[in-house]
Amino acid sequence: MSGMLAKAGLQLALVLLVAPLLSGIIKTLKARLQNRRGPNILQTYRDIFKLLRKGMVIPETASWIFPATPYIVFATAALVGLMIPMVATDAPLSLFGGVLAVVYLLALGRFFLALGGLDAGSSFGGLGSSREMTISAIAEPTMMLAIFTVALAASSTNLSEMAKVAVSQSWKFLAPSQMLAFAALFIVLIAETGRIPVDNPATHLELTMIHEAMILEYSGPYLALLEWGASIKQLVLMTLVVNTFFPFGLSSDWTARGLGLGLLYYLTKMFLLACLIVLVETTNAKLRFFRVPELLMVSFIFGALALISTFLF
Amino acid sequence: MTFLQDPEFGDRIITLMAALVLVLQIAAVGQRWLVSSIRIFAVQSFLLAAIAGIIAYFNHASHIYVAAVLTLILKAGLLPWFLERLVKRIEIRREIEPLINAPLSILIAGCLTLVGYVVAQSFYHPEETSVRALGHNTLAVAIALFLIGFFTMLNRRKALTQVLGLLSLENGLFLAAISLTYGMPLVVELGIFFDVLVAVMVLGILVFRIREAFDSMDVSRLRKLRE
Repeated sequence: MSGMLAKAGLQLALVLLVAPLLSGIIKTLKARLQNRRGPNILQTYRDIFKLLRKGMVIPETASWIFPATPYIVFATAALVGLMIPMVATDAPLSLFGGVLAVVYLLALGRFFLALGGLDAGSSFGGLGSSREMTISAIAEPTMMLAIFTVALAASSTNLSEMAKVAVSQSWKFLAPSQMLAFAALFIVLIAETGRIPVDNPATHLELTMIHEAMILEYSGPYLALLEWGASIKQLVLMTLVVNTFFPFGLSSDWTARGLGLGLLYYLTKMFLLACLIVLVETTNAKLRFFRVPELLMVSFIFGALALISTFLF
Repeated sequence: MTFLQDPEFGDRIITLMAALVLVLQIAAVGQRWLVSSIRIFAVQSFLLAAIAGIIAYFNHASHIYVAAVLTLILKAGLLPWFLERLVKRIEIRREIEPLINAPLSILIAGCLTLVGYVVAQSFYHPEETSVRALGHNTLAVAIALFLIGFFTMLNRRKALTQVLGLLSLENGLFLAAISLTYGMPLVVELGIFFDVLVAVMVLGILVFRIREAFDSMDVSRLRKLRE
C-alpha cells in the first residue's frame, strides 16, 4: 500500500513539476525558430508563482461554478497524469478501461472550463466556450478511435497493460494501423492543446481565440491553477502520444536504475515531440475557424481507417 | 543488430512506410495549396524510393536499387522541381478548386481506402504461395493510392492538379509492382519512368498553353471552341 502511495507521489510530482517546464521549452524553441530570443525556460514557473500570490476579481454574475472550475480542471488533468504510464510501464492508477477514463476525465475538465467561460457572463467567454465545444465534438471521438486502435492491438483497455504488451513485443508491436492512429492523435493533440493551426496559445488579444477567451475573466490564483492545469493537460496528452505509439524505453519496474533510464528516454521522446509541434506551429498559419472542422475531419477519417484496418487484417 | 537481418522486421518497416504514404495521400486530398500538394507528392515519392531500397536490401535484389535511385532522382527531385517552376511561371499558387468540398472528398478518400483493403484481401492466399510475398497491407495501400489518385483527377478542375493526381496514381502502380513482384524487369521499370517523365513534361507545356489561351487552368473551359 505504501509502495503504491510512493509511486503515486513520485509520478504526481513529476507531472506537476515537468508540465510548466515543457510549456517553457516549447515557447523557447518556438522563439528560437523564429529568430527571437524568447522567454526563459523557467518563465512559466515564475508566472504561476506570481499569479498565486496576487489577489483576484470575481464577476458579480458568477455562481459556484466559476470558483469551482479551476480546481476541477487542475484535478482532472493531474488525475489523468496518474493513470498514464510515464516512466514505468505500470502507472500508479492503472484500472480496467483506463482508456475511457482518461478520455472522459479530460472531457469533464473541458466541460467545466466551458461552463466557467459562460458563467463569468462576458460575451467573450461564451464565444470561447461555444468554439471549444465545436472542436471537441469531433476531436473527442477521434481520440477514442485512435487509442482504441492500440488497445485492440494489445487486447486490453488498461493503459498499463497496453504499455506492457507493447514493450514486451518491441518492434513486432508496430502495425500500419498505428501510423494512421498516430496521425489522427497528433492532430487531436494540436487541437486539444490549442496550438496554432487551430488556436493561438501566444495571444489573448485576438477575436479568434478559443482557450484564452474562456479564461479571460479569471485572475490571480484561479488563473494560475487554470494555466497550470492547461500545461498539465498538454503534458499528459503528449505523454499519451509518445508512450502509446513509441513505448520503447519504458521501465518495467520501479527500481532506481530502471526509473533513471526510463526518465532519460521519456524526456528525450517528449523533447522530440515538442520539436515536432514547434515545427508544425512555425510553418503553419492559423486556420480560419470554419476550416478547423475540415482538419479535424481528416483526423477523424484517419482514426476510423486505423480502427477498421485492424479488423480487416 | 540482429533484427537488421530479420525479413519480418523489413516487412514491418515497409508496411509502416506504406501506411505513411497513405496518410500523406489522404492529407493531399484535403489540401488547398498547389505548392503543398507538390511537396506532399515529393515526400511520398521519397518514401516510395525508401521502400524500394528496403525491399532490395532484404531480398538481395540489386536491380531494385536502380529503381529506388531512379524514383529518388526523378519523382522526388526532378518532377516536383519542374512542377514548382511551372506554378511559379503561371503565377497561380492558391486554390485548387475541387468539385466536391474538402470534408466530403476526404470521406470519399477514406471509403476508397476501404475498397482498396477489401480488394487486396481477395489476393491474399498465404497457404497457396510457396514464396513469402510482402504484406498484403502494402498491396491494399497501393490499390488505395491508385483509386485516390484517380478520384483526385476526377475531382479537380485545374489541369495542374490533375497531373498531380496522375502522378500519385502512378505511385500506386509502382508500389503495387514492387510489393507484389519484388520489382519488374529493369527494362519495364525504365520504360514506365520515362513514360511518366515525358507525360508530365508534355502536360506541363499543355497546361501552360491552356493558361495562355484561356487565362485559366480550368479544363472545363476547353469545351467551348474559339475562332
